[in-house]
Amino acid sequence: MTRYLDLYWLFLIQRLKTLMEYRASFILGAASTISLQAASIAAVWVVMQKVPSLNGWSYNEVLMVYGFVTLTKSINHMFADNLWTIGRVYIRTGGFDRFLVRPIDPLFHLLADRFCQDGVGNFVVGIALVIKTSIDLGIEWTLPKALMLIVATISGGVIFIALNLITAVSSFWVIDSVPVTRLVFDNHLFAQYPLTIYPRAISVLLTWVIPYGFASFYPASYLLGREIGNLAWLSPFIAAFLMFIGYRFWQFGLRYYSGTGS
Amino acid sequence: MSVIEVQELGKEFQVPQKDPGVLGAVRGLFRPRYENKKAVDQLNFQVEAGEIVGYIGVNGAGKSTTIKMLTGILMPSSGTVRVLGRDPHKQRVENAREIGVVFGQRTQLWWDLALIESLDLIAKIYDVPPARYKEVLEQFTETLELGSLLKVPVRNMSLGQKMRSELAAALIHQPKVVYLDEPTIGLDLIVKERIRDFIKKECGSKGMTVMLTTHDLGDIEELCQRVIIIDNGHVIYDGPINTIKKRFGKFREITFETAENAKAPTLPAGAEVLAAEERKLQIRFDRTVSSASKIASTVMSQMEVTDFSLSEPDLAGIVKQIYNGALDMEEK
Amino acid sequence: MIHSLNRRASMYGALFAMIPKMFMAYQLWFWAGLVMNIISITILYFFWDAIYANATIISGLTREQTLNYVLLAFFFMPLVSNDLLWEFGSNLREGLMIHHLLRPVNFQAMNYAQQLGGLVTRMAFQLPIMLLAMFLFDMQFPADLNTWVAFLLSALLGFTAMFFFSWLMACMAFYTTEIWGLGVLLEGITIFFSGSLVPLAMMPAWLRGIVLSVPFAQALAVPVGLLAGITPVSDAPRIWLIQLGWIISMWILSNLVFRVAVRKITVQGG
Repeated sequence: MTRYLDLYWLFLIQRLKTLMEYRASFILGAASTISLQAASIAAVWVVMQKVPSLNGWSYNEVLMVYGFVTLTKSINHMFADNLWTIGRVYIRTGGFDRFLVRPIDPLFHLLADRFCQDGVGNFVVGIALVIKTSIDLGIEWTLPKALMLIVATISGGVIFIALNLITAVSSFWVIDSVPVTRLVFDNHLFAQYPLTIYPRAISVLLTWVIPYGFASFYPASYLLGREIGNLAWLSPFIAAFLMFIGYRFWQFGLRYYSGTGS
Repeated sequence: MSVIEVQELGKEFQVPQKDPGVLGAVRGLFRPRYENKKAVDQLNFQVEAGEIVGYIGVNGAGKSTTIKMLTGILMPSSGTVRVLGRDPHKQRVENAREIGVVFGQRTQLWWDLALIESLDLIAKIYDVPPARYKEVLEQFTETLELGSLLKVPVRNMSLGQKMRSELAAALIHQPKVVYLDEPTIGLDLIVKERIRDFIKKECGSKGMTVMLTTHDLGDIEELCQRVIIIDNGHVIYDGPINTIKKRFGKFREITFETAENAKAPTLPAGAEVLAAEERKLQIRFDRTVSSASKIASTVMSQMEVTDFSLSEPDLAGIVKQIYNGALDMEEK
Repeated sequence: MIHSLNRRASMYGALFAMIPKMFMAYQLWFWAGLVMNIISITILYFFWDAIYANATIISGLTREQTLNYVLLAFFFMPLVSNDLLWEFGSNLREGLMIHHLLRPVNFQAMNYAQQLGGLVTRMAFQLPIMLLAMFLFDMQFPADLNTWVAFLLSALLGFTAMFFFSWLMACMAFYTTEIWGLGVLLEGITIFFSGSLVPLAMMPAWLRGIVLSVPFAQALAVPVGLLAGITPVSDAPRIWLIQLGWIISMWILSNLVFRVAVRKITVQGG
């Protein structure tokens, strides 16, 4: 375990060194992802100037939910972006074989191979939104709430990564796994808003099937002192469970790959 | 015990069949059809410690499939593989520690990192003790002339520089078994020479076992005592290089482009005209009797030559001749 | 003359016909795209549904009008999105730009044909989700032929203006290799400024002023406003004229800038 942490640290340092060479790219990458967030936030702002309540949620409360999903998604973006490109960049080109002739876990190698700087922009936006809205709403930062911010950020990030892993494994079978990943991944868009605006079926889906709710709605509710927010303490268990499934499925895909070596 | 033992090894793939046209594509979407293809079939050979074996065959003969099974990337469909007594697929990590791999067409270095940074990372991945790493690196800096390259990102390197870096990366952990897949592909003669020299010295002096796949018969001649030729997934020849050399390595072809229509020139001993077309003259000569320079100067003294090129006998031709029983005849 | 025109027409025609085939190579994308679109319109619907829970009319728009507008704007997104920037970027990276410019067809016209083909194909792929939205969320299309004519002409004019504007933007590819970052940045700007998320009427006046001073909305908010019945059809001729003005100014500007930008490669040899 410490060996892998050491290794990750080294990979990260090297990657950051490279990024320093492409500073313009780094800044533009961060700015570009922010522009997408800005567009959505601006739209919500415009609408909520006219109507100050979204099903009982104020502008700042809505923004906090949005901030949480941006934050947790950015964890996935920074640390597991290679899951998107595994099919096209690694498996189709044969580059994946490089991981298999090395004496470390290939999944670790894949993820560590490229820290994605574009997620940094979203991370900053996400954390800024959560903190700014908490100040505007006069939320008192008690110990459990601070703890929740950390627990939910990590668990939410792991939920994103695990779901992306489960779907990315399909790249062992199909040419491009991105559409498969998108099928599940895009459901996180529901979690940009309070789940209470949707019919029950959708909020059940986002809680128990594709549990992006634990990456935004529930922790935000907890910080806002809403009762439903207590469910947010489940998020580490859900994250761990999904990651377990994801890793088993990955191993299954790997066995298939060794069978065919496409 | 042999370092590499391959017994009755087989590998079958399912190849999806593509139907032509839009309709075919749509059909493929709903009901893909597969065909079984045997990439490798009942393969047998052993490689002893310290041997440098040339593993050759035309494209699609099953070379890379074999190498992938030897390195643990692929799982055999039948038969067994043992490398240093281990099953390379089941004991992938343990096996990976002991082997070094160069895939000539793909890099194992990080494109954007300076070479030294890539090497540092790889040394960590293989858990090479720092003192030992330093020692090997120093030695490679000299033998591979990496001194000026260490600070250069791989993306800025020439093909030859890249290959020298790849070799350093593959051998930095001093593996017992080395697989080199097309290590000289696309390189010019001088660089090829240096690479071969390095492989010979480095692997030879440390008693590494090497399997070399290549299309370049020059590599084989210089590095290997033994060759295994496969075709259609079967071994069609396994034996000393000398037999191959004697039969096929003797001849070279030289083609001249001439200013006026070529007429048959008077040639030194051991050379013969293969074809004389309009402004083109093809000559084959026996290397042991004559030399390219001798032929060239003789021809040039007799007519005006605009260009000429020298070619080695190609692998496809050799494989074909082996099928036709060329080797059996000589051995009998 | 006729002969050369024919030859050109068939050449553009061939380029045009290539695009659906390219799309067929991505069958999986088709199904995934469908689900992704369903997710998006579901969110759109329930978001606006929740907004209208406490109000019957916002900025003069009823719930039905707004929902109709945002759903239609969602479908007609292809009007504002084109891949000229990527196109330029990959051509320049692979050194093919000069090659294209030397061909005996007008490079801009060829690209226009290609993008128009892309638009038609992308719209065709939107059809299933359009039907679903009509079925699930009661999206309405106008029954009146005049509205359709007003919309179609306005959409074509707006798309054309946007094409020239994108051409202008794509010229950035001559100066930087950061195509991906620029592309995403532009995407964010396009999404907001085209009026795809919020009807222009709901924006504060100053913001609407900014939005209408750049061409994005001409290709989406303006034609969709007609189709959704927010803008009366009697306004159509005035809208067409404005759009024509955009086309002319963008056409001139894009060609001027392209001419300057292309020197980057003709001088340096790319």
